[in-house]
Amino acid sequence: MRRMLAGVFGAVLLALTGCGIPAHTEVEVDGSGPAVAAGTASYRRDEPPTRTASGDDRAAFVRNFLSAAAGEPERAYERVKQFIAPENRARLQEKQGSEIAVNVVRLTEKPVITENANGLFSVRLPVQQVGLLRANGVLAPPVATETEYRFGLRGTVSPGQEGTEEAGLFVTNPPNVLLLSADALRQYYQARPVYFWSSDGSRLVPDQRYLPLAVPDERRVSEVVKWLIAGPSEWLSTGVSRLPDRTALINNAIETEDRWEVNLDLPGDDNRKLAQIGTQLAWSLPELNGQLQLTTRNQSRAAIPSLRQHRLEHPVYPGTDNPQRFTVYEGAVHPLAFLGEGSAPVPLAAEVNRDVLSAGLSRVDDQVLAALVVTAPGGRQRLATGSGAGRVQIVNPSPQTFGTVGRPIWLRSPDPRRPYGLVVADRRLWRFDDRGRMDPVPLNVAGPVTAVAASLDGHRIAVVIGGALHVASLNVDGGVVTAGPVRKVATSLTDLSAVDWAGENTLLLAGTAGRSAVYEVSIDGALQTALVADVGARVTHLAAYPTNPVVPLPSVLIMYEANGVAYRYPQRDTIRRDQVLDVTPPPSGGRAGSPTAPFFLF
Amino acid sequence: MTSTSNPTPDTSAGWRPAARMLGRALVGRVLGLAAGLHQTWRRSLQVRVVTITLVVSSLLVGGFAYLIANKITDILLENAKTDTLLRLRSGSDYAGKQFSLYQQPQEAQLQDTIEGTVNYLAGGDPQQTSGVVVAITADRYAGIIETRTSPATDVRPLVSPELRAAVADGKVAHQIRTGRLADQRTKYLVYGSPVPTSFGQLELYYLVPLNRQDAAAADARATVLATGVTLVLLLGLLAALVTRLVVTPVRVAARTAQRLSAGLLDQRMAVNGEDDLALLAASFNQMATNLQRQILRLEEMSRLQRRFTSDVSHELRTPLTTVRMAADLIFAERDEFDPAVARSAELLQAELDRFEELLTDLLEISRFDAGFAMLDAEPTDLTPIVHRVADRLAALAERVGVPIELDVPGTPVIAEIDPRRVERVLRNLVGNAVEHGEGKPVRITLGMDETAVAITVRDHGVGLKPGEEKLVFNRFWRADPSRARQTGGTGLGLSISLEDARLHGGWLEAWGAPGQGAQFRLTLPARAGDRLTTSPLRLVPADAALPFGGPRDGELLTIGPAGGGALAIGPVPKTDDDRAEARS
Repeated sequence: MRRMLAGVFGAVLLALTGCGIPAHTEVEVDGSGPAVAAGTASYRRDEPPTRTASGDDRAAFVRNFLSAAAGEPERAYERVKQFIAPENRARLQEKQGSEIAVNVVRLTEKPVITENANGLFSVRLPVQQVGLLRANGVLAPPVATETEYRFGLRGTVSPGQEGTEEAGLFVTNPPNVLLLSADALRQYYQARPVYFWSSDGSRLVPDQRYLPLAVPDERRVSEVVKWLIAGPSEWLSTGVSRLPDRTALINNAIETEDRWEVNLDLPGDDNRKLAQIGTQLAWSLPELNGQLQLTTRNQSRAAIPSLRQHRLEHPVYPGTDNPQRFTVYEGAVHPLAFLGEGSAPVPLAAEVNRDVLSAGLSRVDDQVLAALVVTAPGGRQRLATGSGAGRVQIVNPSPQTFGTVGRPIWLRSPDPRRPYGLVVADRRLWRFDDRGRMDPVPLNVAGPVTAVAASLDGHRIAVVIGGALHVASLNVDGGVVTAGPVRKVATSLTDLSAVDWAGENTLLLAGTAGRSAVYEVSIDGALQTALVADVGARVTHLAAYPTNPVVPLPSVLIMYEANGVAYRYPQRDTIRRDQVLDVTPPPSGGRAGSPTAPFFLF
Repeated sequence: MTSTSNPTPDTSAGWRPAARMLGRALVGRVLGLAAGLHQTWRRSLQVRVVTITLVVSSLLVGGFAYLIANKITDILLENAKTDTLLRLRSGSDYAGKQFSLYQQPQEAQLQDTIEGTVNYLAGGDPQQTSGVVVAITADRYAGIIETRTSPATDVRPLVSPELRAAVADGKVAHQIRTGRLADQRTKYLVYGSPVPTSFGQLELYYLVPLNRQDAAAADARATVLATGVTLVLLLGLLAALVTRLVVTPVRVAARTAQRLSAGLLDQRMAVNGEDDLALLAASFNQMATNLQRQILRLEEMSRLQRRFTSDVSHELRTPLTTVRMAADLIFAERDEFDPAVARSAELLQAELDRFEELLTDLLEISRFDAGFAMLDAEPTDLTPIVHRVADRLAALAERVGVPIELDVPGTPVIAEIDPRRVERVLRNLVGNAVEHGEGKPVRITLGMDETAVAITVRDHGVGLKPGEEKLVFNRFWRADPSRARQTGGTGLGLSISLEDARLHGGWLEAWGAPGQGAQFRLTLPARAGDRLTTSPLRLVPADAALPFGGPRDGELLTIGPAGGGALAIGPVPKTDDDRAEARS
């Protein structure tokens, strides 16, 4: 009986130990997996043409060769090497990852293709080095100094190599760099700003990036986030703040039902920081209007329900709408009236508004800032600055007097109590405040300064030093305006006389390209457009109301003065005297002066 | 080779007997144990009840425990599966979106994205050790896309080809596998899902260690097991207690009943409380009291009866003595009387003899009944007694014409007996034999062995009918009531003889068959107080015919079963094999 009992106990024990989690089971199918999303991927567009696309057209072939590097940088070498004769491909030494950089050059002349003996061709490319397009989309200042490149061309069937049926040409003896023409840059890249917060955290400062059009739309968000994480361009780095160190994008940003999700590894895990990044992204991704969600590894979240709405609520340039035109006429500032545009009275008291040579006005909320270049005794000039609510009653003349003073500009500082402006006086750059105090601003490039312009964000300036264009960031920390390192911009125009900002990342230049001309160039000089090819005389003043994403305008509004005559663009007409308002009619028969030094108040 | 192989048979040969012995000893022990257990099982109600309770409750509790433990394990596993499936689905969704940005498997950033995705899905921090391993494989792009896992390990042994095939087929599938990824073997729940991409399919695997679930299941199992065992033991204990509660009074009752039956009529059970067992004890006690009263009453009645008989006998003796004296006087003077009166005197004398005899016998019987009979045993030679009895009855035998034959050994037959009583028995037996001898010889045989002596008295009279062997010893029994007594038998002789034989610790038995006469056998132990086992002489005489008429000459007898568990002896049944039997 007891044995039976023991047997029963044993069986129970065995059953109990046997009913645990099994060590192995058969495969169980839980259902079908997710199906392939049909055709969501936008296919590659705007790939540069392949080697054989040009056929036997040598000029087209050279053009295509100069655009072959366009596209995703990881495969730039692969694309370029398709153009190179197989025996010469080793000459192009490949670099990896972030080392990959493309030399952007501007052809100063058409490529010179000459035929040698043996049916070979040699090509000479006279170029201007524009910059180095890095893998992160930044067009850095050029490193190379070559002014021309030479290489050879041959047909596909080279002597001693029979039987290849391929058509087209090959590059022989290629230069050991990736070359990209500025035209190809314009054609195969999208120039787009990304925004960084200024060092004081008050403003978003745009920075220019080039995104290959070959990158599919789905990856653009990821690319932009990576750019933001990688930091600003070198010349901007003193004026803007970077994201916290070791910030990283976790995988790619993905879109789920019109909502973009960005996973970040954010040290410190600061919600305020996250919100700032959200605003940065909202402006850096202007094509997105839907939802954006930022998530950190620690599950902090910052959700922007509507990017469009967010941009409206957080304008990148506050208070820049409603520009008003003014001009200097007979020693006083007068408003200009054009058909279809509003005008306003001069926000200057009459006793202030005299002996004016040129002026710079700015509006911060209700505050009007005025900087007037006025005549000083002894044929000299001085700056008089002041501020006032709605109307400037008193101006404070600067203690210094100068031989010549350029048009003063106000920095669009977010702090109305401490306005600063810049002015070129006697070939030096000065800063001033609204109490008439002037101090020189040191620059790290020697040379006579002839023009200065400040961007909408107030943290970048363009200066013409020694007739060449330079850009620099401004740092207004501690109430003192200092300029960061100056970056030289290669342009076709020479002998620059005036500069202003035409947009967030474009500049207006007045200079000489054979003839006096006004060009719109990108901030790095790579893209340039001739707005006015032949002004007829040297441009002495240039003022613009820049295009910006807050106040959409079809084109930049420009007014310039050459040879004592003021013009406006895009209307391309002169500003006539009768368009000047509040003018006491001159005594009859007296020679009427013309309006000069026109500018915008916004 | 041979040198090594040789010792093997030797040792095995040496082993075998030892093993056999051991086996035999073991079997013997087991059999002994089994027999002991069987006996315990039969004898102890408590053991039976406790055993049955234990067995049944073990089965029940075991069944329940199995169900519960199984359920708990199922629930744990199901939860793990649900969790993992959720993670897998969101993971494959996430991975699918991540990879949808790539059009070709060769793209440089794809590898980084896979790596990043795996790390992200595994919880981000590769140093973190939650134990979950996430892997993305590309079976279709084996050369182009490497398998990535987080944390970095080789998951191939854990992902079976069947699972791979199922996932490659576009199915979400899972499997439990045991393997070693870290330092110890662990059960893993392996879940696989395809990750569709623009260029084809990748596979995402989650390997979730089941340590926690396993431990929880083991815990639950141990708890359930411990509870079950405790419950079973408690039930056994309870059964033992309850049975003991019931069995103990029953045992007391049994013991009391045994004592009662042994004659201790004043034994009673203790009555505690008012329950069923108390009722049993009370009823038992009442029964015992009633029995005791009845027995005492009967005993009293019996005693009174015996007393009465004895008293009557005694009371009759005194007048009888007077009557006797008077009758003796008359008998002595009978010659002087008229012949008719003389004849009456003779009759009176004879009947008074019988009356006296009857009174003597009655007194003897009542002495036996009262238990006053005492054995006066002494070593005695039985041969003279036999001769004396034969001589005394020779006159009567001669008168009825029955010769008495003696078969007595030449040597003395010594036994510790009461010679007076043995002689009385013999006289009675031989007298009866002569009386019923019908002229045929009566044979007295004396026999002895180491332990017993026996005397048989054989006659060849009408014999006894079947069943009468017992009745002959009844008081005043008569084979033929209508038959007149020729001799002066009182009807108490054989009863007194039987009591005498019993007083010796011996047997007095009768055999008889109609027409074949009868034989009585007296067997007495050689030493007083010894128990008898056999008799030196046969009860059934050698010349007695068998009840069925005996076998025919030269034929065989068979012994076969008869009704009532007895053996029956009879002739061989008549069959067709007769000739064959005869021949053989």
